[in-house]
Amino acid sequence: MTILKRITSFTALAAVLTFSGSALAEDTLVINSFGGSYEKTHRKLVIEPFEKKYNVTVKVITAYSSDTLAQLRAQKENPQFDVVHFSGGLETIAATDGLLAPIKPSELENYDQMYPFSVAGIEKGIGPMYKTAVIGLLYNTEKANPAPKSWKDIANPAYANHVLMTDAASNTYGMLGMLMINKVNGGTLDDITPGLDFIKGLLDTSTIVSKSPEIQQNFAQGNAWVAPYAQDYASTLIKAGLPVKFIQPEEGGVLAPITVNLVAGRPNRDLALKFIDFSIRAEASKGWAEALRYSPTNKTVELSPEIAAEVVYGEEQAGKLVSFDANKIGANRPGWNEAWSRAISK
Amino acid sequence: MKQASSRLGEPAALITPGLIFLVLAFFFPALNMLSLSVIGPAADGGGFTLEHYAKFFTDDYYAGVALRTFRLSIIITVTCVLIGFPLALIMSRSPGWVRSVLIMLVILPLMTSVVIRTFGWLVILGPGGLISWVLETAGLVGNQISLMHTESGIVIAMVQVLLPFQVLTVLGSLNRVGPELEEASRVMGAGFFQTIRLVSLPLSIPGIVSGSLLVFALSISSFITPSLVGGVRLPVMAGSIYQQVTGSFDWGFAAALSVLLLGATLVLVIPYLFVSRSGRR
Repeated sequence: MTILKRITSFTALAAVLTFSGSALAEDTLVINSFGGSYEKTHRKLVIEPFEKKYNVTVKVITAYSSDTLAQLRAQKENPQFDVVHFSGGLETIAATDGLLAPIKPSELENYDQMYPFSVAGIEKGIGPMYKTAVIGLLYNTEKANPAPKSWKDIANPAYANHVLMTDAASNTYGMLGMLMINKVNGGTLDDITPGLDFIKGLLDTSTIVSKSPEIQQNFAQGNAWVAPYAQDYASTLIKAGLPVKFIQPEEGGVLAPITVNLVAGRPNRDLALKFIDFSIRAEASKGWAEALRYSPTNKTVELSPEIAAEVVYGEEQAGKLVSFDANKIGANRPGWNEAWSRAISK
Repeated sequence: MKQASSRLGEPAALITPGLIFLVLAFFFPALNMLSLSVIGPAADGGGFTLEHYAKFFTDDYYAGVALRTFRLSIIITVTCVLIGFPLALIMSRSPGWVRSVLIMLVILPLMTSVVIRTFGWLVILGPGGLISWVLETAGLVGNQISLMHTESGIVIAMVQVLLPFQVLTVLGSLNRVGPELEEASRVMGAGFFQTIRLVSLPLSIPGIVSGSLLVFALSISSFITPSLVGGVRLPVMAGSIYQQVTGSFDWGFAAALSVLLLGATLVLVIPYLFVSRSGRR
């Protein structure tokens, strides 16, 4: 009996806590960020100034894009995030599933300052790109001789045993790199066999990792000379003192959208919209370029020449990037994951 | 009457917290998983289906993943028994302070986070790491070698963390036996190894069995160490399940893989328990 009573009182306590939780929710936002120096910069540029300006609390949960999407799916009936950030195209999948809410251009004060491509999907639930990353080739300037020029150069025998690739099934940058390698080998989004065949030919003389810290470790230990990955990560390696350079290969770099999205079915839409608007303001866009070499999506950003040279700056440069159809990515990704895992497994 | 009710009531009260926890944290999710594994995609109406299981059995890729998982778990378990039994024997017959030091050394790996410990292995096993350097300096290998992304690397890193479970359970059953029987055996003329084979080993069978069951169950479901040390080219079951959930978003298939993993583990574990029990009699 007493046990039953205690269970009842415990349940009541839990219920009280839950309700007080939702009462607090009006001035609390729950968001995700990607951890490490990224999250530190995120806090400095967006989260902390936002908390100060609106006198609210922002609760940050560290989770990569794939994990965040998995959580959003699991919480479909009762979402726990207000705003989610995605990199590499998962926002389209989430929007198609109805997990994200549409935004009207009139709801964002900074809408008119954005490059059109970066806000093209907001009325379908695909949040604005608050910046973009560019996928190209990272190489060790002391070891990789000659320097790579083309995506196909990762097969150059001069780099044998020192090519580093990133898992396309668990890492969205890895997936975009794989799609580009597929494209330069004559494949399409409906047929990635040419890309997989090309990669299969490299398996014996390369390493495949799944997380970005492993990329840094492999460059630091001298195991990696050439790796398809992102421009911003190259700057992380350079800051760590490694002799690394980033190039956009002659076939073009790949645009990796990084978006800030409104979660559907949450009570504090207005505050969440303010956060999104705050994320895309010129000051933040500029800060991301200066701190971590992400490319701005706000037209009014003015960068110093040194920094402008290390990001994709301006509409003309951005237009040269290769971008892949996000709807096709969403539809085909489960199949690609399987085909990829099968192709690389020993 | 009153006596009978308290005789039942007391054990029931003691078992309740554990039972509630088990129901909430194991049986409920396991049943949920079982139902997920036989429900088709919502787009097709979400009716009963065996397609997830059919996919596993008609696909040699997943059979390969399952085979690797079981093969590695068996190798890890056998290695733990081979290292763990002699170690436990020495510990049980050592003076108190030596035993304390050895126990500390054995459980030390459990006191570090799995991620930090695994990154330690990355540094030691990786190209240009300690092992590669030692072998190269000794002139045994010409080039830099790496145990990263190999099955041997997975076994080494897993044995390190699972060894305490084996050693401590065997130590428990050896301590219960006490040294007197071994002394008697030596007095009666048996040699050192003969005593181990005929006295210590048979008497510590219960400890070896429960220890190796623990090790096997932990290694078959382990995820972080195989994925960091083994890498993406050596997928194991737990990693494939995680990939299905977070990468491919195919929960039905992930649930089917989990049910099969659980089932296959039970099929191996239950006969093992029966054999060891009849062996003890």
